[in-house]
Parts: sequence; C-alpha cells; structure tokens
Amino acid sequence: MNVHPTAVVHPGARLADSVTVGPYTVIGEHVELGEGTEVISHTVIEGRTRIGKNNRIFPYVSIGFPPQDVKYRGEDTRVEIGDGNTIREFVSIHRANTSGEGVTRIGNHNWLMAYVHIAHNCTLGDHIIIANGASLAGHIEIHDHATVGAYCGIHQFCRIGAYSFLGAFSAVNQDILPYSKTTAPRPLGVYGTNKIGLERRGLPPEDIKDLEGAFRLLTRSKLNTTQALEAIEAKGFHSPHVKVLVEFIKSTERGVAK
Amino acid sequence: MNVHPTAIIHPHAQVAGSVTVGAYSRIGEHVELGEGTEVMAHAVVEGHTRIGKNNQIFPFASVGGIPHDLKYRGEVAYVEIGDGNIIREFVTIHCGTALGESVTRIGHHNFLMAYVHIAHDCTVGNHVIMANAISLAGHVEIQDYAFVGPLCAIHQFCRIGAYSFLGACTVATRDVLPYSKTSAPRPLGMYGTNRKGLESRGLSKEDIKDLDAAFRLLSRSKLNTTQALEAMEAREFKSPHVQKLVEFIRTSPRGVAK
Repeated sequence: MNVHPTAVVHPGARLADSVTVGPYTVIGEHVELGEGTEVISHTVIEGRTRIGKNNRIFPYVSIGFPPQDVKYRGEDTRVEIGDGNTIREFVSIHRANTSGEGVTRIGNHNWLMAYVHIAHNCTLGDHIIIANGASLAGHIEIHDHATVGAYCGIHQFCRIGAYSFLGAFSAVNQDILPYSKTTAPRPLGVYGTNKIGLERRGLPPEDIKDLEGAFRLLTRSKLNTTQALEAIEAKGFHSPHVKVLVEFIKSTERGVAK
Repeated sequence: MNVHPTAIIHPHAQVAGSVTVGAYSRIGEHVELGEGTEVMAHAVVEGHTRIGKNNQIFPFASVGGIPHDLKYRGEVAYVEIGDGNIIREFVTIHCGTALGESVTRIGHHNFLMAYVHIAHDCTVGNHVIMANAISLAGHVEIQDYAFVGPLCAIHQFCRIGAYSFLGACTVATRDVLPYSKTSAPRPLGMYGTNRKGLESRGLSKEDIKDLDAAFRLLSRSKLNTTQALEAMEAREFKSPHVQKLVEFIRTSPRGVAK
C-alpha cells in the first residue's frame, strides 16, 4: 500500500495492498478499494463505497456523498464501482436513496471524463464513455458500450441503450435507442461582427467598418463562400484584419459556421 | 468546534462553537460561520464572507472568491449567506463588485446542487432549488421558491421570478415570469444506426446491416412504433442485437426518442 503522509485515511477503511492513495486524499470509514486502484490526489471518498480493482481516480473527485434528494434522511445507502474505470477530475458520484437496492452502481472499464455527474441510484454497465460535463439525474440506466456526449442533461429514470451514441449538448427526456445515433440539433448563427468586443479591444473604427463590409458580403449577400471571398478581395479593404478573416476561411478544415 | 487538525482556519475568522470544519478546508481571515454550520473536506471559504446557521458546505465548494469581472479592482466586497442552505460539491460563489452593491447574497433554506455557479452581485432568495451545473452570470436575481433546472445558463441582470420552474438546459437571456413553467424546447433527433460506434466495438457487418434495416422500419417507414416492432419480428432478423433493440423498446417506461 502506498499512502501519502498527507492523505487522511480512516483506520476502518479497507485498502488492498497494491492501492495507491495520493496527497490530500480523504477516505472514510466504510470505503473499500481493490487491488491496483490509484487515487491520485485531493479526492474525497466517503459513505459505504466499494471500489474494485485497477481503477484510476483523478484529482478533486467526490464519491459516496449523500444524494441530492430532499427525501433522503441519512439512511445507510451505497456506491459500488467495478474494475478498470477511469474517473477524471471533478467527477461526482453520489450514493443512493433507499429506493430499489439502495445502491448507485458503476460497472467495469468505463471512462467518465471531467465534471461528469452520476446521481443517486444510477446504474452504469461496462465499456461506457461519458464525455465532459454530462449530468445524469437519479435512477438513470446506461447500458454497455454507450457513448454520452459532452454536457448532455439526462432526465431521471431514462435509459441510454447499449452501443448508442448520444450527441453533445442533448437534453434527454426519454429513452435513447440502443445501437442508435441520437442527438439534439445544434443550430449556430453568425450575427456579423463582434462590434462591442472589437471596440473594447481597441480596434479602430475603420477596421471595424471594413470587417462589417466583409461580413455583409459573407452572410448577407446572395454569394456563396467562394464568391464572397473573391468579392472581398476585389473590394481591396484596407484593414489587415480582413485579410486575417479571409485566410482563416481559406484554411478551414471543417468548414466555418455562417 | 469540531475542526480537523489539517483544516486551516485564520486566527481572525469568527467561527461559532458548534461549527464543524473538515480535513484540508480553508477558512479565511474575514469569514464568519454561524452555529451548526458544517464545512466539509477541501471546501474553501474566503473573502469577506458571512455565513449563517446550519448550512452544509460540501467538499470542493469555493465560497467568497473574487469575481469573474474584468472591472473588479480588488475592492472590498462581500458574500452573505443565510441559514439552512445546502451547498454541494464544486459550487462556486463569488463576491460582489462596486458596480453592484458590493455583495452577493443568498437567503435561507436554498439547495444549490453540484457545480452551480453564483456570480458577483447575484441575489438568491429563500427556498430556491438550483439543480446541477447552473451558471448564473452577474447581477442575476433568483426569487423565492423558484426551481432552476440543471445546466441552465442565465444572462446577466436577468430575474427568475418567484415560484417559477425553468426547464433543464435552458439559456435564459430575459426575465422568467414568476409562477410560470418556462423552458427551451429540446428537440432530439434519432438518426438511425450508430454505425461508426458499432464498427469500432466489433459488431459484424451482418449485425450492422440487420440493425440498419430495423431502424429503417422504426423511423423511415410510415409505421407507428407498435407496427414497426411487429414488422421487425416478422422479418426474423438473424442478428441477436435486433432482438435486444425490440426488447428495449417494449420495456421503455418513458417512451423512446425516435
């Protein structure tokens, strides 16, 4: 066992021999950590929390705290996490309320990216990827091999089916079909020049006027992008910032939002 | 006072007798904490911050930090928090600025869930519930008994009216009416098979072909879901994954996104 001298580990906690506990970690009385699991630093784990083998828990993670449920009255509920999971910074995993089996459960070989939230009574299978900032409400099921995109918000009791792909920034109110590609549409509008921002950053009025002329050709004329670029170059705008704009568009790999 | 030996409390901080302070917390010089308040491990309370009675401040919360305001010049500004509030992990509450009344104010019996951000000069009333990862910009007012859903973003100077319900994932750029149910629409599109995901997870070409056809019946034919399920079973697809898809739909408590 490799426990940093600044780590605060309750004597009642059960840590396997090959566990590593880094600086400023706080581990509570009823916590179990399996072989090969590493808690890097500054993480707090409490409650009846059993974590299996070969997990990697990054700094500033919170596991095992009470559910965000106004009905919860301090009952002795649990968190169970399997083997081989990667849990990144600022992830929070809350223990269950008393409904169902009273457990929040995460399987094996899952990847929870930074800021992900797993609420009370959620059940996650194996080989799941959850990207940054996604928030699961209570009692959600995520089935094996699903991918949940960044900043998704998932309503309580929903199920995310096996092998599904849920696009980023989707607000989910119903079940997501297994094997599917499902996403919220993500419209993006360009509303011309960032006038206020440019003024604050000291661009002279002539530059802003040129840029406004260039944007009008880009977005308000009947020209497609290629034609608009030709028209912009033909107009011979003085501002060097127009050239930066043109270069940017010419060198784009994914296309530009217009 | 129940203070963990690793907690760092400035000698001038005014901490009531029944306050609990957890491991590695930090309480700054101009902080006041009222009776029965609990500050858990790794929470930071700094600045000119007065916190009342019976509050719970969870790990990694940061209360009293300087604002995200480029106009802030280091002036003395305050955070005032009342009684009986729950402040969960990773919540950030920043102090006021001279452009406001130099105070960020939170009333009584509020529930701030994990990752909530309360910016400079905000005012939160009483009995407010703020779900995960809401971001308030500066000078926002949340009135009594409002509920703000997870992942909302509130534009500066907006007001969220009393007893309102603001749906998850809403970007609010104007005031939200008191007593109202207000939400951004949240369309979700299901775009057939998660082809790339299935290939990279080793499903066979035949499996994917069968699933493609099943999804076409589900979403591209003129059949409703019940009829589509019957058609899928009549086709007798070989892939066991199609059966899993059918089972999932049949057992869905909330309906599926289609």
